[in-house]
Amino acid sequence: MKAKLFAGAAALALVAGGAFAQDLRFAPGEDAKFNWASYEAFKQDLSGQEITILGPWLGPDKDLVESVIAYFEAATGAKVNYNGSDSFEQQIVIDTEAGSPPDIAVFPQPGLARDLAAKGHLVDLGADTATWIRDNYAAGQSWVDLATFPGKDGNSGLFGFFYKVDVKSLVWYVPENFEDAGYEVPATMEDLKALTDKIVADGGTPWCIGLGSGGATGWPATDWVEDMMLRTTTPENYDKWVSNELKFTDAAVVAAIEEYGAFSRNDAYVAGGAAGVASVDFRDSPKGLFASPPQCYMHRQASFIPSFFPEGTVIGEDADFFYFPAYAEKDLGQPVLGAGTVFGLTKDSPAARAFIEFLKTPIAHEIWMAQKGFLTPHKGVNTETYGDPTLKKMGDILLNATTFRFDGSDLMPGAIGAGAFWTGMVDYQGGKAAVDVAADIQKNWDALQ
Amino acid sequence: MDNIAGTKSSLVWTVNLAVIALVVLWTIPTFGLLVSSFRDRDQISASGWWNAAVSSEANEIARAGDADTQLQEGDLWVIAGTVLPEGKGEVSRFGTSSRDPTAYAAGETADLGEGVSLTVATDGSYRLTSTTAFEGRSPRIFFTATTPPRLTTENYARVLGAEGLGRAFLNTMTVTIPATVIPILIAAFAAYALAWMEFPGRALLIAGIVGLLVVPLQLALIPLLKLHNQLGIGKEYIGIWLAHSGFGLPLAVYLLRNYMVGLPREIIESARVDGATDFQIFLKIILPLSFPALASFAIFQFLWVWNDLLVATVFLGNNQDQLVMTGVLRELLGSRGGEWEILATSAFVSIFVPLVVFFAMQKYLVRGLLAGSVK
Repeated sequence: MKAKLFAGAAALALVAGGAFAQDLRFAPGEDAKFNWASYEAFKQDLSGQEITILGPWLGPDKDLVESVIAYFEAATGAKVNYNGSDSFEQQIVIDTEAGSPPDIAVFPQPGLARDLAAKGHLVDLGADTATWIRDNYAAGQSWVDLATFPGKDGNSGLFGFFYKVDVKSLVWYVPENFEDAGYEVPATMEDLKALTDKIVADGGTPWCIGLGSGGATGWPATDWVEDMMLRTTTPENYDKWVSNELKFTDAAVVAAIEEYGAFSRNDAYVAGGAAGVASVDFRDSPKGLFASPPQCYMHRQASFIPSFFPEGTVIGEDADFFYFPAYAEKDLGQPVLGAGTVFGLTKDSPAARAFIEFLKTPIAHEIWMAQKGFLTPHKGVNTETYGDPTLKKMGDILLNATTFRFDGSDLMPGAIGAGAFWTGMVDYQGGKAAVDVAADIQKNWDALQ
Repeated sequence: MDNIAGTKSSLVWTVNLAVIALVVLWTIPTFGLLVSSFRDRDQISASGWWNAAVSSEANEIARAGDADTQLQEGDLWVIAGTVLPEGKGEVSRFGTSSRDPTAYAAGETADLGEGVSLTVATDGSYRLTSTTAFEGRSPRIFFTATTPPRLTTENYARVLGAEGLGRAFLNTMTVTIPATVIPILIAAFAAYALAWMEFPGRALLIAGIVGLLVVPLQLALIPLLKLHNQLGIGKEYIGIWLAHSGFGLPLAVYLLRNYMVGLPREIIESARVDGATDFQIFLKIILPLSFPALASFAIFQFLWVWNDLLVATVFLGNNQDQLVMTGVLRELLGSRGGEWEILATSAFVSIFVPLVVFFAMQKYLVRGLLAGSVK
């Protein structure tokens, strides 16, 4: 009888536990591939506290980030309001200036976080977090460096925590089109160029490139140039270029722009001809891959682009990607260009601090990994949790990288990285000489100082 | 001179034709947007809205049914289905490789090798046969089809069914109605004082208000929000009412004052002689006479506040309880935008209430537009 009673109580407890966990996408403790130990270890009592997070994610991305936040809420009892905004860059400036900031801001690029840190609107995350990143992130030191800025008092500190990374060095293609034509995925830049010529010789068009993006027209070309920089010159030169120790007019930079031009300014290489590139919207550009007959065979774009593929496209089957290869002859290893979002503390509170601590747990990464669109440099996560093989393949590109560099235009001052560099690339696409374009951008940069 | 009265000058026709041409020209973009709102994303990126009403010939790709839908007929394995799931259109040619998507005419049989063959009929039905059982992914079928025009209401279903739209509609109303009424109330009093009450510095004050018309509101966003935070209003409805009122007041005062100053002096003076106070004159004489100007300003202010996103994102929070309609529609566009069909549809959904307001008050608008221009 007693045993029965106990069993009843246990069953009741299970039911209650189940009810509690129903808005958690993966029930804690159930699937062994997740690191539930880190979730249990993180548990603390912060009930009654409330924090707001302002970020750039909307729509489906918002649902994804909220699915991660739910675990923080369940583990601490604190309430988190996530708000997304497509004009995040403007709104965070207004809110911090006016004195009503959220507790945590999610910056799409580190450049803006740097500006706010310099004005004293961000809280230093402290040396402990820096040490943690150094020890637990792949290429940890570079992630620390990317988020270390001078504060208002002039002392440098760690003002950002990278969470969610995008890989940019990807070439998208339709495997069945490659099969039909008998093409192989190229392993080196030499092969890629040979393939490009072969496609032209077969009467096809190899590339789809689109630079259009409203007020940001030109940015896809800056990614190309950054990738080409990493493939034609040393990572040290890349770093110097980003901080303008190496001028835009330097031969190495001009050469990288011309490497990009070798693809985009050749009428036979790009769908719609070289003149069309600047006017095609980057969101419409990949659709040429899926046309009948194919308008192009390859499209170089970051890991987010599948959201603009035609409805029902299955990644890994209908469309796939390969690593934008490096030159075999140049011995620069396997460089990877990426970007990422930075969490910054805009208002200090125990709950906000706890949230940053939460982002250090493997489980905070694994929950999003198990869904979609999330890559992480966290070394402590189980890569088996990646929701689909495609993400795992991207994750492998990230882990196999001999050099990882952050999107340079995101690190340059706004007037260059989100201004002169973009418009310069549009001018270049329009037929202006690389040397003149570089000189113009450098002139803009000089005017800033 | 006898053609002045009686017959119409041919110039009238020219004017009428010119007006019609201009009206059509003005309406074309809106019409295009309306057509786009009934098309899906792939259609919008494939062809212009002006092609929406004609049959189009396009090369398309379909995939044969999965291997588990295969049936055994004698010694053949068959996968059958149609490449035109909606049953409309006509297939003219088909192919099995992206290299040559128009290799065969409809009705012919294509040999895919290894005992596999495919035939596609003009009505879109296909038959894929093999001497061995199918495994793995089925092949793609390339076909050229002429399809009749297709319009969809899916976009509207998606926008109207968006999570939180009803709540956002109420939020927008909560913002818009007080933000329209408050400035009218204040401006009517101020306009009367500036038009009919004698006090020193009146002309300067009017000049100052006219000057405020040219101050862009973006300048005031940060200082005003700072002020709200210091006063403890923070991001609440009262804050956005004050902000919208403030931004709307210069125009309201200017418009109403110019209208009121044009009212006949005799009426007001005789009321004074009869012993009416300023307040009575304002309430009983000026307000009823100024109705056209009040109505036209109300329309301006209502439309402006209804369509506003900037002021709302700054002075209200971004959470579900405070998100306005423009905010929800913006969220539908996703993190990277580019969903044109949603943009077009949202425009027509959000235009509905302003249209009602406009038609309800438009007879006053024309009169009100002339406010203050003639005595």
